[in-house]
Order: sequence, then structure tokens, then C-alpha cells
Amino acid sequence: MIDSGAVGRWVSAPGAYDIVTGKARYCPDLDFPGMLIGKLLYSPHARACIRRLDVTAARMIPGVIAVLTHADIPGENSYLYAEPDQPLLVVDEVRFQGDAVAAVAAIDEQTADAALRAIDVEYQALDGIFDPLAAMQAGAGQVVAGKDNIMMHKTYRTGDVAAALASAHVIVENTYRTQWAEHAFLETEGGVGLVDADGGVTVYSSCQAPHRDRMQIARALGLPESRVRVITPYIGGAFGGKDEAHVQIHAALLAHAARRPVRLIRGRRESILTHVKRHPFIVHCITAATRDGRLLAVKARAIVDAGPYSNATHEVLNKFGEFIGGPYTVKNLEIEKIAVRTNNPITGAFRGFGAPQAAFVYESQMDDLARKLGMDPLEIRLLNGVDTGTRMYTGVVVREGKAMKASLRRAAEMMGWQQRGELGRQPATHLRRGWGMATILKGSGMGRGLPDHAAVLLEMHRDGSVVLQSGAADMGQGIVTVLAQLAAESLGVEMSSVHVVRADTAQAPDAGASCASRQVMVSGNAVLRAAVPIRDSLLQVAAEKTGVARDRLVLHGGRLHVDGQAHDLTVAELARRALFRGYPLQSEGRYELEYPADAPEVTYRYSQEVFQFCTQIAQVLVDCETGQVAVERLVAVHDAGKMINPGGVYGQIEGGVAQGIGYALTEELRVTEGHTLNASLENYVIPMALDIPELEMDVLEMPEPLGAPLGAKGIAESPIIPTAPAIRNAILDAIGRPLYQLPMTAERVLSALDAAPCADPA
Amino acid sequence: MTDMDIRLTVNGRLQHAKAGVMRTLLTVLREDFGLTGTKDGCSSGDCGACVVVMNGQVVNSCMVLAAQADGSQVTTVEGLASNGELHPLQRAFGGTWAFQCGFCTPGMLVSCHALLSSNDNPSREEVLTAIAGNFCRCTGYQGVVNAVQQAAAELRSANAEAVLQHD
Repeated sequence: MIDSGAVGRWVSAPGAYDIVTGKARYCPDLDFPGMLIGKLLYSPHARACIRRLDVTAARMIPGVIAVLTHADIPGENSYLYAEPDQPLLVVDEVRFQGDAVAAVAAIDEQTADAALRAIDVEYQALDGIFDPLAAMQAGAGQVVAGKDNIMMHKTYRTGDVAAALASAHVIVENTYRTQWAEHAFLETEGGVGLVDADGGVTVYSSCQAPHRDRMQIARALGLPESRVRVITPYIGGAFGGKDEAHVQIHAALLAHAARRPVRLIRGRRESILTHVKRHPFIVHCITAATRDGRLLAVKARAIVDAGPYSNATHEVLNKFGEFIGGPYTVKNLEIEKIAVRTNNPITGAFRGFGAPQAAFVYESQMDDLARKLGMDPLEIRLLNGVDTGTRMYTGVVVREGKAMKASLRRAAEMMGWQQRGELGRQPATHLRRGWGMATILKGSGMGRGLPDHAAVLLEMHRDGSVVLQSGAADMGQGIVTVLAQLAAESLGVEMSSVHVVRADTAQAPDAGASCASRQVMVSGNAVLRAAVPIRDSLLQVAAEKTGVARDRLVLHGGRLHVDGQAHDLTVAELARRALFRGYPLQSEGRYELEYPADAPEVTYRYSQEVFQFCTQIAQVLVDCETGQVAVERLVAVHDAGKMINPGGVYGQIEGGVAQGIGYALTEELRVTEGHTLNASLENYVIPMALDIPELEMDVLEMPEPLGAPLGAKGIAESPIIPTAPAIRNAILDAIGRPLYQLPMTAERVLSALDAAPCADPA
Repeated sequence: MTDMDIRLTVNGRLQHAKAGVMRTLLTVLREDFGLTGTKDGCSSGDCGACVVVMNGQVVNSCMVLAAQADGSQVTTVEGLASNGELHPLQRAFGGTWAFQCGFCTPGMLVSCHALLSSNDNPSREEVLTAIAGNFCRCTGYQGVVNAVQQAAAELRSANAEAVLQHD
């Protein structure tokens, strides 16, 4: 039924008018009578104990309405959704530069700043623990008293790695390092807290998981969840960085204490210093193959710097290990995963969880392997690639895997891979051109064994207009558009007749977080289910009115169609008649990703089973005098399953690649002894309009059986994942020197060249 | 020190404000005039979310002191539509998916609008140069180039028609 109308067409987002006129209201734009400005006092130290914390003077300042310390939190003073081990306001010891110590609410920005300055804190600086390798050693001291510095240590094995290594013809063994990376969503974290007449709170939250925020706010306030309402206004980007709660809890605490509305927005510097970063990894990896290039074994050990608190470290390492073998058939695999506490920045979810770090490792290994064997990078990937029916090293059987090789072949064709040398490898004495590819897979959804469901409420009114309540946060990725398309298509009305209410926990059922590329799959299917009883009512009325059998009737474009011909009866008229007769025009749709009973056992815990496959190929030009790398061309071929909104899909790919180019070449949070040195958009260097080539994109639509009936897979995460290794392999092709550390800055390229200056191209 | 009284014309309307020493044009637009379309992404002139046109120049309004804006003519995103009718550029932004979250869009639109006022047929490079200071983290810049070129074509044909009618 999904073959016409709004689905699959370039439609405008329902919020487009608001956005292009400046009317769209994000948290910083919200204003309420009597609203106060909230601010947080953050630790200037990476590690210190608090000797004295005196807020008396701050409370005396005229215009300061509330000043909170840990002692003023009515409920639990710790948060994080999985393992709540981060204090909302520190009790006695700050453990990273972004730990919050006190919260204030005042009549304006200046007064709030004055209150922060008036808070008297005496810190005693302590020796921090900043090197994860040192922190693992006995006698290193504890980052968090009473807790082992090793936050997580797990090993997963399948097959016989030792025997495979012993029998291998060729082995590549390298150590990789990746950096702290910053989401840089353009709207910083924010929340607006309001106190309801009945003593509950309403919180506008720039977030990815409104129902989970509700749980955390209720815990902090000591209120039942029924007294907490979370509403998402427009949200200015997230990319995983707003998956965990942030200042919306503090906004609620301040509003609750002040009995007035409080708006709390982080400044850019605060934002960079305080929210989670992409985990830096140190990975030692051994990859073994036969003489003809067949993979025999992968053995890897990953150590990540987790900062002091848990955040999404377990999930990130879980995904890293799940994907470290890549989209390849690997029978023997061993992955050891270690997370270490330090006094460095906190780390957590960022587009792809650990998959981008894994892809940098396995796709670099593939090219090193190809060079050792004298094989073409395309050939070795096609030789080892998974396909439909392949049983992965995780135990997962790939249900739809044709896109792996299809994306490789299509990308190679678009780039002109076989003719690539013809353009000239040395356009000037100091310039070298090269080509590199990376192909990856990333799962959508929470993974088997974890709850992965969503519900929506759909209602048609007597005028044929439709309202859809969904708890799925739209941070810009476009779930609101997709749900509006699906509702319009399913009920046979125009998209303009559908109003999707931005997530509001008082009205919408829980859809879970907008993360892991999952919402189009779960909430999208929930809309299809919700539409069924409403459509039944409309068609029942139509059949009664026309006397035509139901199977000859279709609703389309706001009108009844009989045998494919437009009829005089409109959907609005049918709705009016259905209501008159008492037929239901409202419905809840619920969808849960269900695994077939005969699905084989999965040996890697929480494995995802719906795969986004994709291939990217980069053409780069390296300046051997400066070390500068220019990405001249980039081809990206992605499988999205059934494509609902092409404009959104292409936008996600382009945006992901842009982030990937930054991750590859320039983006790096520089941290010394726990202190971030470049906490600004000036010094944390992100590619801008002139730094990104015109991307050449294509989308494959391989319907996903597990996400039936919709067949969409989601596209949010995969675009960022192959970009860095594709560029790395292109640099390798250009200068003949491998790099093993991100980002591949001009300095690092130069030092690789120092080790062996630009060779004349073969 | 008393706050300076400033007067400026914003989107064709004369407005008054108090310009304290630390206040920027951005804060006056947002807080005093309620023009929250103009966004604050960094407060340091690095992201372009606060771009407005002041006296014909594209500026980051977070880097302009309110006192400097005294007597100036300012256009913000709210001033692009006229009589409730969207500017072709605004329509094109929606149709080409030139944004995802939309937070960069007001500044991006103002930069592009300024480009079109001096160049009725911009090349890809000219568009990219015009938005070189407008940071988009969600969706890159191809949609913006497409939108600007589409709007430029529409404006050129509308102008050609107007000339014909005038003749």
C-alpha cells in the first residue's frame, strides 16, 4: 500500500514555514510571564575536593530568587538513565571540569551571573588521573572512591583465533588512536521549567528522549512521574549528545524551588566543557588472511577513556565490539573491551555509538592487508563481504545483505574506480592524489534483548483533519515529517491535513529515545498500525453509502476512489458520517521489533539485526609541503531500506559525511590534564561550506524483513561511519604512508611524510 | 553610567531600546523586540546563526554592540517575507531540504538574501562563499546551494516578466 501519495516523494517538512520565517521556537526562544534565567556554576578544576561551599552572599543579592546546592535537591542527587552515577550538583568532590556545583535562578542574565560570582567555593585541588593506561595499573588511586577505575572489562570470543593466526599467510597488526569529538549541535542544551498549579512541573526540553527525561526529572524532584510533563519544542540538533539528560533537570529543580518559570540554556563554552564527547579509543588490532585474501581472524583490544561517570560507555563499547569485524565473514574473532575512569571529559553517545571508531580500525586494516597482498581494495572487500543469509561472528544471520556488495559496486562505478589513475596522481611537484574506500554496516534499533517499541495516538476529526501524537523527539532528523507522510498515506489524506504534535509526555505514549536510527522503523510502523481501524471505519461508511464492496474502495488525496476512479465523497464527509454512527476514528498503534521464533541464537549480547550498509569512496589531494589534505570528491552509496522521505535521507547522508570529514581531518578536543583547551567553535575546527566537496550520493532501497511492513531501516548513523577510513585509505594511496591516528591533521600527515618523504608515484 | 538610548529601523519599523554597555544587537533584537528568529549559537562570531543585515552589510549580530546599531537599518529573517508572502528563497529552502533542525536557517537565509540582492545568478562557489560563515551541523550545504539557485532563477524570470509588462 505504500506506493503512492506522500511516501517516497520530496515533500516539505511540516515545520518548514515556521523555520524559514523565524517563528519556530526552540528552548532559548521560549518566554513565560515572570520567567527567570537559570545558570549553573561549574568546576574550574578537573579534580578537587570542596572544602567550603557558601551561597549566603549569592542568596542576598536582589533579584536572585533561588540558589541551590546538593543539599537543596528534594529527590535523588544523581542521574544518567542506565547507571545513575553522575551528581546533579556535586557534594564534596569534583571529578571533571564540567561537574556542576550550584544552580541559580535570577531575574535576568546579569543578576544570575552576579549570583554565580558571589558563591564562595573553596576547592582543594587534587592530583587527577588523566592517562587511562596508567589508571588501569594497580596503585593508580581511584577516580571515584570505592569504585574500580576499570568501569568495564569484557571479552567476546568466537571460533579459534589462535589456530587461525597460526595458519595465516598474512597478518597486519597495528595500534590505532581516536580523539574526543564534539557534537556541536547548533542549539546548545537547554530546558525551561514551569511549576504547575497542582505542584507538578512541566519542562520544555531540548532532548532525544522525553519520556526518559520525565523519569529522571521525577527522580530528582522526588515526584511521581505522573506529576512531571516533558514537552519538546523545536530542537536544534543532537547527534546523540542530547540522548542523556542535561540541564533540563536543573531547570526543573530551579523552577520547583523558585515557584516561577526558569529558562536554563548552556553557553557554547559551557556546552563543550560539560556534555559527553565521542570516546577516544586506543585499539590494538591483528587481522589475518589467507594467501588469496580471505579473512581468517580478527583479534582486537580496545581501551577507552570514559571520564569519571558511566554515561553511554557500556553501549558504545558494546557497539564497537559488535562491529569490529566489519561487514565481512569472519569465523574467528576475539575482542577485548576495557573502559577506564579518568578525570578527563565525560564521554557517551555520538552518532554511531562505537561504530565509527571500529570502522576506522577495520577498514584501515583491510587496506593495509590489500597492500600486503597486492590486491585491489575493492576486490578484497567483495571477496569477504557478507550477503543475505551470512551468519556473522555475533551469531546474527543477515536477513537482507545484498546492499553490502551492491553499495561497493555502485560506489566504484560512480567514482570511476577502475579508471582512477587516469586523472593524474601528481598534478604538481608537491601534490599527490589518491583514492580510498570504506564499506561498513551499522545496526538500527536497540538490539535483541532490549526493549524496542513505540506507540502513537492517531485521531481523525469530523473535518477530515488528523492529529498524531508521538513521543518521538524530532531534533532535526525529520521523524515528524516521516510520521506525517505515513499517516497521510495510510488515511488517504493530504500531508497538509495531518498535524503531528511535537512530543509531549502528557499526551503522547512513549516511543523510546530518538537514537540508534530506530524511530522510522518503530514509530513509523506504529503509525501504519494506528491507521488501520480508522481506515476501516471510513471504508465501512463508504461501503454503506455507495453500496460498493469494500475491496473496490480506496482513500487517496482526501477523496474516496471506486475502482481507481475519484468519487464525489471526500474523506471529510466520510469522517463526519463515521462519527455520527459512532465508528471509531481514534486509535493507538503500537509496534515492537519482534524477532522470529526460529531466529538463531545470538552469541554477542544485544546485537542489532537490521543493517544499514554503505560504501563511501574519497578522492583526496595531499600537499606534501604543508600536509594539508583536500577532499576533492566523495561518493556515498547508502542502503536505507524503504525510503520514506528522500529529502531527509539525502540530507542525513550529506550531513553525516560533513561530520565524517571533520572527524577525519580536523575535529579534536584538545585536553591537557583534564582541561579542555579549545572549547569554542573558533578553535574546535569543523568543516564549513567551502571545505566540503559536492557529494555524489545514491540510495539503495533494500526492504528490511524485520522492520515489516514498512521495510525502512533508518539512515541516521551510517553516513558518518565510513568517511574517516575512506579518507585515510585515500591518503595512504596518495602518499604511500599509512596513518593510524585521528584526526589526520596536516601535522600528522607531515610527520608520516617525514618518516618517508613523498615517493614518486609508481 | 546611564544606558544609551538607541533608535534603529528593524524590518522597516522604527524601534527604541536601552543599550547597556554589555548589550549586543542580538540581545536587543531577541529580548527587547521579540525577534527570536535570529539565533545565538556561540556568542563569539563563529557560527553565523545570528546573521542579520545592518546598513547593507551582513554582520554577526552577536559581535555588534547595541550602541553601534544606533541609527542603523537592520533586516532579520522576520523581514524577508512581505505582506505575509514568503520570499522565493524561503519557499525554496523548504522544498530543497536546505535544513534539518532549522537553527542555522535564519542566519543562512539572511546571508543568501543579501547575496541575491547583489547577484541575480550566483554560481555554486559564490553561494558557498556567501555562506562561508554560516555553520550547519545537520545537513551540509548542497541544499542551500540548490535553494539559492532555484530562487535566483525564479526571481530572474519574475523580473523579466515585469520588464516586459513595463515595456
